[in-house]
Amino acid sequence: MSPRTPAGSGTPDEPRTPGAPGTPGTSRTPGAPGTSRTPHASRDSGTSRTPGGDRRAFLRGALAAGVTGSLVGATAGASASTPAPSASPPSPFHGVHQAGILDKPRPRSIVASFDVLASGRGELTEFFRALTDRARALTGGTPPPDTGISAPLADSGVLGPNMPAGGLMVTVGVGASLFDDRYGLASRKPAGLKPMRMFPNDDLDPAWCHGDVSVQLSADDDDTVVHALRDIARHTRGAAQLRWRITGFTSPPRPSGTPRNLLGFKDGIANPDATNAAEMARLVWANPATEPAWTAGGSYLVIRLIRMLVEFWDRVGITEQEQMIGRSRDTGAPLDGMHELDEPKYAADPIGKVIPLTSHIRLSNPRTSQTDDMRILRRAVNYDRGVDDVGDLDMGLLFICYQQDLKRQFEAVQTRLIDEPLVDYITPFGGGYFFALPGVRDSRDHLGRALLA
Amino acid sequence: MRAPFLIVGAALLLATAGDARPSPGVTPPPAIEASVTGCGSGWAHPHAGTQVLALRNDGATAADVRLVDPRTGAVYAEAEGLGPGVTRRMRLALGGGSYAFRCQDDAGGAPVTGPVTRISGPAGGSPGIVPVTTNDLYAPAQSYTKYVMAGLDRLNDRTDALRAAVRDGDLDAARAAWTPAHLAYERLGAAYGTFGDFDGAIDGTTAGLPGGVHDPDFTGFHRLEYGLWHGESASSLRAVADRLDHDTHALRADFPDQRMDPADLPLRAHEILENTLQFQLTGRADEGSGTTLLTAAANIEGTREVLGVLRPVLKPRYAALPQVDMWLDRLDALLKGRSSVTALSTAEREHLNGTAGQLLELLSSVATIAEPRRLS
Repeated sequence: MSPRTPAGSGTPDEPRTPGAPGTPGTSRTPGAPGTSRTPHASRDSGTSRTPGGDRRAFLRGALAAGVTGSLVGATAGASASTPAPSASPPSPFHGVHQAGILDKPRPRSIVASFDVLASGRGELTEFFRALTDRARALTGGTPPPDTGISAPLADSGVLGPNMPAGGLMVTVGVGASLFDDRYGLASRKPAGLKPMRMFPNDDLDPAWCHGDVSVQLSADDDDTVVHALRDIARHTRGAAQLRWRITGFTSPPRPSGTPRNLLGFKDGIANPDATNAAEMARLVWANPATEPAWTAGGSYLVIRLIRMLVEFWDRVGITEQEQMIGRSRDTGAPLDGMHELDEPKYAADPIGKVIPLTSHIRLSNPRTSQTDDMRILRRAVNYDRGVDDVGDLDMGLLFICYQQDLKRQFEAVQTRLIDEPLVDYITPFGGGYFFALPGVRDSRDHLGRALLA
Repeated sequence: MRAPFLIVGAALLLATAGDARPSPGVTPPPAIEASVTGCGSGWAHPHAGTQVLALRNDGATAADVRLVDPRTGAVYAEAEGLGPGVTRRMRLALGGGSYAFRCQDDAGGAPVTGPVTRISGPAGGSPGIVPVTTNDLYAPAQSYTKYVMAGLDRLNDRTDALRAAVRDGDLDAARAAWTPAHLAYERLGAAYGTFGDFDGAIDGTTAGLPGGVHDPDFTGFHRLEYGLWHGESASSLRAVADRLDHDTHALRADFPDQRMDPADLPLRAHEILENTLQFQLTGRADEGSGTTLLTAAANIEGTREVLGVLRPVLKPRYAALPQVDMWLDRLDALLKGRSSVTALSTAEREHLNGTAGQLLELLSSVATIAEPRRLS
């Protein structure tokens, strides 16, 4: 439905993959009900930035040039863009919620965690302003003007002179560590935010865990997400450092329906309906009754970096694989069904003769009234990154999910999954818990404004 | 302190002003003439705001063209070496004010200034900076040469002492003498060919040497460091120490002949610390002494010297100079009392890296601002 193509998405020089997969179920309206988004390019007044304010005392200079560009460029960027048909345009940058939560991931993703280096609350605010300015410019496809002889160019040029948005979505979260004693934010911590706990089947590497700020980038092409990461890291260099980052991808439907993960199975079939505002209010968005007011529109984010031992997995017979998952590998249908969207009938199979009680789908979502509010909004992507010490391929899943309550949802599900048969074939090695910030309302707003106010 | 703000603020006012947004698929602007004949003619609809201008050289030789403030000569944009028949696009944010194109061909004639164009609108836009000439850099380069000469004398005193300790077979004394001698060299700000082949011989790493630490071409401070901290005998290191001392003296003897090109000086402002980030903050250059952070601090001294001699040139041109000083101070503070990166916690290392990275972002402007430009 959503006819609102954000500025810059799809420019003449932006290569469009024929049959670009976008995501299955593209008729879905990303963030339709209750999100009230406004395309941002139409009202970049920017008047909140008073020339006299001492806002860039910390990151300005080479950085300010880039920031300047992002704002000045707003109109020019629009001129460079031609609305192009897109399988599923991302949610606009401005809105009650950030893009990339209700939206399914686009084909290419980067998941990154930063440690914040800013000293004091003022510098922290400046970091979030710079991050917001860059995200706004990048998702709007608004290239910065030339710097003349005052500085090297503010943009890397990786996307060419018009810097197309390329369907980019930027989603920013904050980790529990941001609420330590550095910035005086302890009293504002979301009620349930804490460091990611270690589950019994985990083998966590501290270098790949946690972080002050999560940044997820998702777009149609690799160059778009790489360009965005470079841009953001450069323009916030003194305020933050990448702690870890990993590149992911979303496969096209094979042959149809939900994309497959690297175990060969369709992954994410039984997600809650992201177009159902009432369901999202119940399952995804921060609960106004229990959370600080600033969190309104945000959501708890779990990132789990999960290595899949694919060689071992491929040596497992298909029947055993399907019993571990609970679905047919070919069709994605539950083992008691024909089609991927068929509802498993657990009541008719109380002892698990068809779909074993220990299968992944039955443990993770028993589909009872008691477990209904434990469901999570999954946004996982695959990763593929090299070779391990014994010559096996290092690939797996960047498990990502959003929920209203970490304990009630992700942790309850993950607890049920402890020692499931599948654990022998996967090794969670990193990730973290974050709180995805409320959306940026308009050109005067910035990520974290309410948190830091 | 104010100028960067004005830049940001003015740019925003432009955005506020919201010049009419061209419809998608708008045709590229007609080209503006960039040759000395007809310089600046053909600027169709001068207006404030962010826009793309196309410059075409219809002359017979390559041309340099700049968009300047005709009163002050401040440059808003430039295209150097625009070949005959070539069109180049530039994306500019223009504020209200007077503008003119200034064109110069490579025949060596005086630059030609085109018609003055007045644009109404809020001030600001892409920053205009008065260009620096080779003449402006002459005195800074002389001062810097003096600094290097004095530093080379100190270096030679210290390599003499280092050589003597190795020859005496006193390895404790040699290890004690190695660090100050090495830092004397690192203070000079050698980066990217300042000292020609001497730098590789005196301070090279094992990079590019197939035999690694045992490669016969691995010489200088780091070869000696490897031996002194890996149990090699004094007698086996004698030739290494002799060669190092010989090379530093040869550098000193050679240096007055290596007239420093003033154009290199602005580049040093960030190049020295680019090397520091790449080889010292990573620990890559460490061959056992665990002193790469002392080296980093010495490199900062060299950078401060470069900035010091350039300061008169930079002060009226680079509004973020106070920020450069602030980040230099921060970097020094983080390095104080530190020697080896391996002794730092993750958080300490991240702060060090982020501070160096931010400083480099700011220092990179020194090279573009103070690059000498031909004005007559």
